Amino acid sequence: MTTALFSIAGAVALLAAVMVVTSRRIVHAALWLVVALGAVAGCFGALHAEFVALVQILVYVGAIVVLVLFALMLTKAPTNPLPALTTRRSPFAAVVALVLALVLGSGVVLAFGNEKLKPVPDGSAEAVGTAVFRTWVLPFEVLSVLLLAALIGAIVLSQRSGKKGDD
Amino acid sequence: MIATAWRVVGVGFSLLVVLAAALLYGVDPQQTTSAGSMIGQDFWFSYEFRTDDLTVLMLAVVGVVSACVQVYSIGYVRERVASYTAIVTLFTAAMIAVVIADNLFLLLIGWEVMGACSYLLIGHYWERSDARAGAVKAFLMTRLGDVGFLFGIFVLGVGYHTFRISELGDGPIEPHLLTAGTLLLLVGVIGKSAQVPLQTWLPDAMPGPSPVSALIHAATMVAAGVFLIARLYDVFVAAETTLTVLAVVACVTMLVAAFCAMAAVEVKRVLAWSTVSQLAIMFAGLSLGTDDGRHAALFHLLTHAAFKGLLFLCAGVLLHQVGSAAFVVLRRYTRRGALRKRLPVTFVTMTIGLAALAGVPGFAGFFSKDSVIEAAWHHARDGSAIGWVVLVSVCLTAALTAFYCVRLWLWVFFRTPALAGALGAFEDDDPMADLEEPDSSKLREGSWLMLAPLILLAIGAIGLGYADGVHLNWVVALGTTVLAVFGALPAYSLWQRGADPRPVFLEREFGFDSAYGRAFVVPVQWLARLAVGGDRDVIGGYVRATGRAGVLASAGFRKLQTGNVQTYLTAAVVGAVALAILAGVIGS
Amino acid sequence: MPIVVPLLLAVALFCIGVYGVLARRNAITLLMSFELMLNAVNINLVAFDAWHVDGLATGQTLAVFVITIAAAEIGLGLAIVLLLFRGHGHVDADAARDLLEQDPVEKGVEQ
Repeated sequence: MTTALFSIAGAVALLAAVMVVTSRRIVHAALWLVVALGAVAGCFGALHAEFVALVQILVYVGAIVVLVLFALMLTKAPTNPLPALTTRRSPFAAVVALVLALVLGSGVVLAFGNEKLKPVPDGSAEAVGTAVFRTWVLPFEVLSVLLLAALIGAIVLSQRSGKKGDD
Repeated sequence: MIATAWRVVGVGFSLLVVLAAALLYGVDPQQTTSAGSMIGQDFWFSYEFRTDDLTVLMLAVVGVVSACVQVYSIGYVRERVASYTAIVTLFTAAMIAVVIADNLFLLLIGWEVMGACSYLLIGHYWERSDARAGAVKAFLMTRLGDVGFLFGIFVLGVGYHTFRISELGDGPIEPHLLTAGTLLLLVGVIGKSAQVPLQTWLPDAMPGPSPVSALIHAATMVAAGVFLIARLYDVFVAAETTLTVLAVVACVTMLVAAFCAMAAVEVKRVLAWSTVSQLAIMFAGLSLGTDDGRHAALFHLLTHAAFKGLLFLCAGVLLHQVGSAAFVVLRRYTRRGALRKRLPVTFVTMTIGLAALAGVPGFAGFFSKDSVIEAAWHHARDGSAIGWVVLVSVCLTAALTAFYCVRLWLWVFFRTPALAGALGAFEDDDPMADLEEPDSSKLREGSWLMLAPLILLAIGAIGLGYADGVHLNWVVALGTTVLAVFGALPAYSLWQRGADPRPVFLEREFGFDSAYGRAFVVPVQWLARLAVGGDRDVIGGYVRATGRAGVLASAGFRKLQTGNVQTYLTAAVVGAVALAILAGVIGS
Repeated sequence: MPIVVPLLLAVALFCIGVYGVLARRNAITLLMSFELMLNAVNINLVAFDAWHVDGLATGQTLAVFVITIAAAEIGLGLAIVLLLFRGHGHVDADAARDLLEQDPVEKGVEQ
């Protein structure tokens, strides 16, 4: 059961990912990204990690993709299909990705062989929240500082006065 | 101040030499012995000196001429006086070393130092390119001869088993070693005394100061060759082949040089060729192999030193006062006899010198030349072919000598009676040259410092003829006088017509220089260009190539900097994948 | 299920993401491909948490942290992309060669 659900979600994710990297219309690529991210959330759900799945949808689909769409709008992304959306080195990149896949895949298979896993025993918000605020509270606080830094950085970067990327 | 000090040293040294000659006169021949060292297993090398008649004669010649030249130079030389005087003094000392040496190596040392001083002195006016070229040419050609000289010393020394001159000729020696050794010495003599085929350096040494020409290239250095053969006469007499070779060389040289003198258009060049010719007469006398011949040659050396030294010093006065010794220039002063009237002492002494050279009866040259002819005649009468060859050559040369002496005298001092000047008699000559006249009001006689030696040498040019005691063979005397007249008449008639025909092969001096240039200079220059090209293009190419390779390599590496982020990322990923594979391969 | 399944899925997503980062021209699509890579990592983390249960919920917690960091990162990344757009008028990552040092060496420096 878990396997079937996971496989379906995974297939959808893969397909959508391929469409993201090969689509000729930029906005379509962004929308395919939504599908991919949602499918990944589905994968999480299949593994009974509901909290992570929900956070994925909230943050990724809800915020990040929206941000991407806003950026596309601000950079006047064309809506017509662009043939030159992929660079000349795409065959080489494909080869590189393939080799990487082979290396990693064979490594994984050789390492884990026939190990089995069961779905996560406790993936509820209560369980994860308890873990975060007990064991992982320090990284949590650091993360909030990190977010603050990112916020300030983004504001500084987008200031207009003479900061046209002179770095 | 240093110049004055050197002048004092120079004159004093020359006078010391004269004093030494006077003191040694009549003393029995002696040799000194001194400490030495062994060379190898067999040979003893030491500094030994000797004295005999020949030494006294040479000391006297060197001393007197050197003293005259030093005094004359005080008035003549104006720039770099100290170095000039010092080198002339060094030269005199070297000649003394040659003259009093009893060891062949000591003689060689003096010989080489003389060559070096000659080079330095010819190049005294080193601002002039012809002086620099002449100095190098003189040095190289005499050096070429000196190589033969050195090996001749080796061969003779090994053959006689001693290097001591007084012992050479006493012991036995294998004939071919003797011939080889003497022939090699002859090569050195030919180089030093400017005989064919190494004669071309002497006329080109004339850009040197005139007193230098008088001392080195007339009286002493070039006469060192004659001295050497006279000193080693026993050895040379035993080697008949060498004497024959010497005779041939001498006869060819005397005629070649006399012909070249007939076509020279500058006073010093005429005198230079004349020197070569007269030296050849001395060598011809030596080549007869008899005591008469040696005596005659040395007598001619003595008188030649006097009158040729005198002539060069007179040419120096002309050069100093007028500014040039070329016929083309000097004949412009002949319209009102400016040179004769304004330089009277020079005119008279030069006349005396030319008369002595030409063999006018009563002057020194007449007596010494006659003694050579007499010695040749005696030898020829004894049935020797060499004697006949020498006799004929010397007689012919006497006629030619008279020709060029009269030619020189007339063109320089007297205006040709031909109408409208001599059209084109000399190069760059203007047909109307005879009619215009340069400003000769500033023309003055030289200072007494320059005139006193002239007068002294002029007295010698007359008086030395009688130094040997007068024993004339009247037939010979009459014969040479007739020959001199035969030589002088064509010169007079040409001058009278205002013509100076100079055949091309004489103007080119038989093409020796151009042949040597093609045979030696051109290949050496080609080799030099090859070496420079090799250094610049081959070796330099490698050097530049290393720099270029570095630049190219860096340019290649710079291509990695595309500025494209994705390229960098691709490279990073590829690298990481490669490392992972490598780690996996190594790990398994 | 065999653990290999989620792991291989993660590998595939990761490599698709790598391809997208290396081959896509528009800078924003580049960032989107990067998101795919991060998601692959997340799948890995959760799978391992399911496989090896420690009482700390390490994998899930780390996955949440990764999502947070991804959000921060894309915020900054898009700010940079906007700067790029402001400077060049386009967001073509392939055409932006600002990292390239202009050639300061004069030509023909050797003799």
